[in-house]
Amino acid sequence: MNIQTVTVIGATGTMGANVAGIFASFGNAKVFCVGRDIEKVRNTIPRIIASVRADSIADNLVPADYTMLDKCVRESDLIFESTSENIQVKKEIARLVSQSINEHAITCTGTSGLSIHEISRCYPEEVRKRFFGVHMFNPPYSLSLCELISTEATSETVKNELREYLEKKLLRTVVEVKDSPAFLGNRIGFMFINEAMQYAEKYKDSGGIDYIDAILGSFSGRSMPPLLTADFVGLDVHKAIVDNIHNNTDDYANDSFTLPEFVQTLIDNGALGRKKGEGLYKTFYYENGLKRKTVLDLNSEVYRDKIKYVFPFSERMKRHISEGDYMLAFEALINNHSQEAEICLSFLLKFIIYAVYAADKIGDGIDAADDVMAAGFNWCPPLALYEALSQVADVRDLIRERTELYSVVDVDRLLEKMVPSKYDFRKFFKTGRQ
Amino acid sequence: MDKVYILGGAQTDFERNWKKEGKNLVALLKEVIADGLDNANISYDCIRELNNDNRIAVFVGNFIAEKYVEQGHLGAFLTEVDSAFYGVPSARYEAACASSSVAIDAAQTKIRSGDYDVAIVVGWELMKTVDAKTGGDFLGRAAYYDKESKGIELPFPKLFAKLADETIEKYQLDEKRYLNALAAISANNYSNAKRNPLAQTRKWFMSYEQASNRGTNTNMIVGGRLAVSDCSQITDGAAVVVLASEGFVKEQKIKNKPVIKGFGHRVAPLQFSKKIGESSNSEYILPWTRQAVLDAYKRSGLSVEDIDVFEAHDCFTSSEYVAISCFGLTEPGKEYEAVESGLIAFDGKRPINPGGGLIGCGHPVGATGTRMLLDCYKQLTGEAGSYQVKGANNALMLNIGGTATTNYVFIIGNE
Repeated sequence: MNIQTVTVIGATGTMGANVAGIFASFGNAKVFCVGRDIEKVRNTIPRIIASVRADSIADNLVPADYTMLDKCVRESDLIFESTSENIQVKKEIARLVSQSINEHAITCTGTSGLSIHEISRCYPEEVRKRFFGVHMFNPPYSLSLCELISTEATSETVKNELREYLEKKLLRTVVEVKDSPAFLGNRIGFMFINEAMQYAEKYKDSGGIDYIDAILGSFSGRSMPPLLTADFVGLDVHKAIVDNIHNNTDDYANDSFTLPEFVQTLIDNGALGRKKGEGLYKTFYYENGLKRKTVLDLNSEVYRDKIKYVFPFSERMKRHISEGDYMLAFEALINNHSQEAEICLSFLLKFIIYAVYAADKIGDGIDAADDVMAAGFNWCPPLALYEALSQVADVRDLIRERTELYSVVDVDRLLEKMVPSKYDFRKFFKTGRQ
Repeated sequence: MDKVYILGGAQTDFERNWKKEGKNLVALLKEVIADGLDNANISYDCIRELNNDNRIAVFVGNFIAEKYVEQGHLGAFLTEVDSAFYGVPSARYEAACASSSVAIDAAQTKIRSGDYDVAIVVGWELMKTVDAKTGGDFLGRAAYYDKESKGIELPFPKLFAKLADETIEKYQLDEKRYLNALAAISANNYSNAKRNPLAQTRKWFMSYEQASNRGTNTNMIVGGRLAVSDCSQITDGAAVVVLASEGFVKEQKIKNKPVIKGFGHRVAPLQFSKKIGESSNSEYILPWTRQAVLDAYKRSGLSVEDIDVFEAHDCFTSSEYVAISCFGLTEPGKEYEAVESGLIAFDGKRPINPGGGLIGCGHPVGATGTRMLLDCYKQLTGEAGSYQVKGANNALMLNIGGTATTNYVFIIGNE
């Protein structure tokens, strides 16, 4: 597939800008960066350059506004729509693009919330054959995951060519997924994160938010604990994802996608997380340069200092991980029956099973679960985690004894589908950040 | 010469930052030793058995752990990896960035002498424990610190920028043509690294345009004419190779393993100015580097025509540039021809650094020699995966310490 010219519509948005950077650098394509206000687009160009750390792409980036859209689309081999998650907006874009698109061009939407089929139907039949959902993760320079979604109208040949382009030229980790709410990566990842929020509420007397984050810290196979991740993502974005899954899917884990009330309250108050300066966490900055990290206490509803939790199980895990004794670390987790260790282990086991369940349903193979979690979240991928735990215990027994999963899902059938992981679990288990 | 076989080995993922992962040197060694022994099909029980008869030893390459991780007596750290190493002879070898080549040389010598049958060589360096400026000062100890490094910010980029200046001067090169060749060397190493699943820069963007666009915010000048794109990386990592005697290979019925066919080891004047002064009468700008290559050709009975793949020490693009003529791929002063013609590209006739070299794969200084030997091994046994050079039968590695002060060359090949 020869992609020389690309139009990114919505290039001033976070994803639009970052995706423009990927096309302009790895793809070495001329990229029309289209936004409502051309001045705003011009101001975005340095950010795009910084996102891939290469001034040499500057010549590839051409700022444009909607009055120039016709010309941009006409010249493009690929049109990437990255506008707001509103079907009316997408319909209008589709109408404009369809007027000038040339017959060989590919059209993509970067939506993370809407149905690809629904957006596809906004385009005339001829365009639909070459229409795809291309869902990248933020920031795409460091997270290489790219979920590729097609429809019944899509040409198989074109899909294969696009996949090859995304993999070979843009260096993406491509996973083909079905057009299912929130697709695969977010379905698995946000099950974990939202359930962590629910547990924060459930265990608010033990500390709540920072208590759960301390239990599911980097020693449990992720770079950032789940609730801190939600704060980074934005609580409004989090809500959009989990509501979409909760309302439009129906599986055994559906209740895990129910947004806790305290999160809704924060959203109503505009406390959307890191981008607004407060959310689940809040950092106070003082004039003398000092800062104070606080967390929302769910009982008193005020921000209090973060607690430095010390759990015997996690201290042991960290000590072992710091010397590369991963098996001893897993044994320390499994053999500890404190409330905290039970929560940590049950989350890991539920994660493995739901990942396999979702990949089986939505992905193009069970190993898709590994690709989405490693390349999209930087979490220890589920198949690799399963293999790691299997070295010290019978995971079936653990699931039977330490979770309720057997009563809600056919665990044995899912575990039979397990395939070897191509990922090394060791680098995902860290001792640094709690 | 008695034969020394390479049984296998492993390297860590050079993308990893062990400080950020909260792991120490023992964790690094545990992982790489376990992976290396697994690849070489040597178990801890096998080590115990060999050690009962004093047939196995460990050779550790590391430059300057005393600074980076406040630790010396590195040979003894194998005992922290596994109790199978209790009693196993083990010591650390040092020659700056060529540290693990000295370890390899000591290992092969001890096998040839008949003292040991199996030698585990492990090179490692943890460099991300300090900021770039502090790390640059530590590395300054690979030169004459008091005279060439002390009080100078990032001394090594400046010294290798001088090599670039001297190269232009000596051969009266067209500056633009020379700098473009360096940019192409950089882009080539980054591009090769994209095929290497353990390369530090495998996800980074770099292009010839970016590499030749020096002096921008994203490609700042680091010294003289050289910019960030001309530099190798600051890397955490380790690499292991397992060497064995002919007796052991026969006893274990091991087949199809490559052998070390020859080596060269020459030490040039330590100070860069003395090096350049001494070379004024030679057609080579680094005559001792060239001599080390010639020594290895002589010992192996091979010539440049026989070598299918090269590992060059591209700590900077200016050093890979000079290596091209030292290997004999071009006349001295005509190195740009090999770059421009694509001779040294991945799909060229004489590929250099198919796995990305120090610029693309990364440069944990004490591990680089073993990483090079391991990559040669992979090429010769067809285990290099997507960066495999087809039909490679002989490979040459050049590992240098300091400003091409210690020069080590090994030629490895199939029998």
